[in-house]
Amino acid sequence: MKFKAFLTQDGVHLLDKRFLPALDKLGRICHVYLTPDHAMFLQNLLSGDGVQSVAQFNKDVLFRDYRISSQNAGRIAFAVDVALLHRALRSALTIQAQARDDTAAIQIKLVKKLPAGSRDPAPFLTFETKGRVSAVVQDVPISKPLPRDDVQQLQSALEAAQDLPQTLVQVQDLAQLQSLVDRLRNVGDLLTVAITRYGDLHLQVSTSLITVGSEFRRLRVLGLRADPPIGDRTLSAPTRTEMAIQKGEGLSVQVSLKHLAKSLQCHLAKPDCAFYGIAPQGACLTVIFQFFIPGTRLTDKSISFYCRLPVLDPGSGP
Amino acid sequence: MSSSAGVGGDAPDLVCQLDCAQGMVDALSSVRWKRHQDAVVEISEHGVVLIVEESGCLQAKVYLKRELFLAYEYTAEGRPRFGLSLGLFVDCLNTFSTPGHAPVIEIRYPGPDMQLLLKTVDSPDACIYAEIRTRIPDTISWDCNFQSTGNVHATFTEAVDDLEWPGSSIQIVLQPDPPSVILRGEGHGDLQVEFPYYANTDLLIAFQCDQHVSYRYKYKFLRATTSHIPNSVLKDNRGSKVTIGRGGMLKIQHLISVKRAGGQHSHGDISGGIQQLSRIAYIEFFVKPEEDESPVNDT
Repeated sequence: MKFKAFLTQDGVHLLDKRFLPALDKLGRICHVYLTPDHAMFLQNLLSGDGVQSVAQFNKDVLFRDYRISSQNAGRIAFAVDVALLHRALRSALTIQAQARDDTAAIQIKLVKKLPAGSRDPAPFLTFETKGRVSAVVQDVPISKPLPRDDVQQLQSALEAAQDLPQTLVQVQDLAQLQSLVDRLRNVGDLLTVAITRYGDLHLQVSTSLITVGSEFRRLRVLGLRADPPIGDRTLSAPTRTEMAIQKGEGLSVQVSLKHLAKSLQCHLAKPDCAFYGIAPQGACLTVIFQFFIPGTRLTDKSISFYCRLPVLDPGSGP
Repeated sequence: MSSSAGVGGDAPDLVCQLDCAQGMVDALSSVRWKRHQDAVVEISEHGVVLIVEESGCLQAKVYLKRELFLAYEYTAEGRPRFGLSLGLFVDCLNTFSTPGHAPVIEIRYPGPDMQLLLKTVDSPDACIYAEIRTRIPDTISWDCNFQSTGNVHATFTEAVDDLEWPGSSIQIVLQPDPPSVILRGEGHGDLQVEFPYYANTDLLIAFQCDQHVSYRYKYKFLRATTSHIPNSVLKDNRGSKVTIGRGGMLKIQHLISVKRAGGQHSHGDISGGIQQLSRIAYIEFFVKPEEDESPVNDT
């Protein structure tokens, strides 16, 4: 298998300043999954535990002179430590800046090398910063590239993750949500999230002595929507939610507050907005981050970033 | 938001609104000397009183007059009382406020299950709410019939801090001649803090004493009366009133400013005095003396 490509300036900026900082908060390890058309960073898709995340880019967003080949339909996947990857990229950037050479470019290659003090060659992702006069090489250790079956598993998990919730509500202010989640953590960890077709997002933490909740109403809705029943303004949030669920116009799941707090770290990728939805059959809580084409309010379809939070079984809660 | 619950018998005893959650937290935190404390809350047409006590030797009361609230609708007969976890209540109020934003909070009692209900009401499209379980309170074991034998206004807090002598007791002496307050701690050696009345009127603002009075109090209880006053309040420097009653009961009163949102009052601002009075929460501590000492004639 072979892979090499040059990073575009946009790609470098996206990874260094936005996506790698976010992925670093979500988990230590991520799978890099490269195909002829896309480059993806995936977390927890195979382990089934914890917050899953998918960051997918059209190859042209990150790379130029993209060359990939493998015996598995041109697909390559491997695991890498996010912090190491980020550090290598930052070093490459520093070298590029110091070279004061407008043509200096950063090339990434998949290689096999003999690490110091070892007899067996190991795979690395190499960052080569080439200037007119010199080149600096950094090797980031990676896992052995995934065998065919594992790549297929990754692909299937990816396809399953793309099962969109029927109703999504838009949360404008992620910082406000993050601040709320931080305060709710004092109460407990089991969080009930309810989303209705009227555009309500209702979060609640409950113990035997206290219940604390927060409700956001009249959020923008994507997908299936409905008008709220008349006169529901005077009802309490829990009552409203219960009624919506009974009418089949709302869904409710329980997730870990820690997981939600973690997923909110995705704000480091600086998305333009975020949508929350509950996957069909309450399989998970999905949050989709949208990015606009710079200077417009049109969705940039070449970048896709979303998280899925596992749903807890209330019977087995802590 | 409608504040009456419809059918007459279902109307809550109290529906009130406040916009000074942080001030409320300050006032309640000053009587929170342990992480978990049970409090008894008594509501009336005059306001809300919260009472905490420990081991029959230390009692604290927080008076929140109805004027502190933006709105106060009281429809109960008599004075309902209920038990509540002080820690939960304070943590809950903290959840509602964020730095720089003081929401309007509506508090109702009782809820359908006798809970205390809280909710932010300043935005139609977003709210935070809470329901805190209450319990039937134990009767308060001691209700002091307090008769003063001497009192002072003093910066009591620093003196108590200075006297940090672990495990010992503190002797407080009020003497009329020369007029002074002496706090004495003994343990590994001894330390005496003296407030002579004429020496420094910043420290000892007022003094009234007919006879020599001297009693001992457990240090940890004295500490509880001062160590939880929030720093922002101490800076206001209102001073505390210390009174020793018959039998040695020590009464310490603090005034905590519960600022209205957007309201700023500068130090020493005596204009608008009536308005300021309504922004004060009164905190009272009662500490029982260690032994039943008759006044000691030492100098």
